Amino acid sequence: MPSDLSRLLNALGLIAVDTVLALAFIDQLWFRDLPCPLCILQRAGFTAAGFGLALNLLFGPRPSHYGVTILGAALGAALSMRQILLYIVPGTGSYGNPIFELHLYTWAFIAFALMIVGCAILLFDNRQFARPEPWSQRLSVLPLVAVVTFAVLAVGNVFSTLLICGAGFCPDNPTEYLIFNHQFGLTQFAQAF
Amino acid sequence: MMSLPFLLFACGLGAAWLRQRGAAMGFWVAGLVVLLVLFRVHMTDVLNIAL
Repeated sequence: MPSDLSRLLNALGLIAVDTVLALAFIDQLWFRDLPCPLCILQRAGFTAAGFGLALNLLFGPRPSHYGVTILGAALGAALSMRQILLYIVPGTGSYGNPIFELHLYTWAFIAFALMIVGCAILLFDNRQFARPEPWSQRLSVLPLVAVVTFAVLAVGNVFSTLLICGAGFCPDNPTEYLIFNHQFGLTQFAQAF
Repeated sequence: MMSLPFLLFACGLGAAWLRQRGAAMGFWVAGLVVLLVLFRVHMTDVLNIAL
């Protein structure tokens, strides 16, 4: 596999991760569907998995970078599977709104599984690691957009999680942004000054 | 606390942007360990399934 094609596929993969993280933000902000603790950890799983793709784009493809993505996706899959199992018995409820008849944690598990399979397929070809030809400039915009968007979404999740959970652990079923709560948050902080 | 994994991954991305691959991998490993700890902390309910 030429390294240009490898770079294109890594960029497209990272854009797919960006899309998932952006859709999670849309669900949170537009539909006011606040993420539960496991949902936030699954977002972190996507960030951990996408990290390897970003490394491939910034440093060139390496087996260790695919390992980063596979380990991140495996942990994310474990997180989403844990949440699927919590509600797998009919009548035991669910969390959040379903999209196309599946809940977000089920979609997340499918996405993590696809990432692991995708990395395994990409690892089959060793020619990308030899890098006989220089990186093409034609693809420079797409990887740049993918990496910058990924970094923005990671930083956005830092602030979003701080707003939802404050500095401690998240409530099991968050109904409001904890940091705006009068008992714990900015209001009290502001009154101190 | 819950935002710590994102913060570590973001720092790792910053290190990667500055071409510091070792530091980037270090931040990623730290983020993954924190994520594992948070996963353990949030496994509070017993699963109602038979395996």
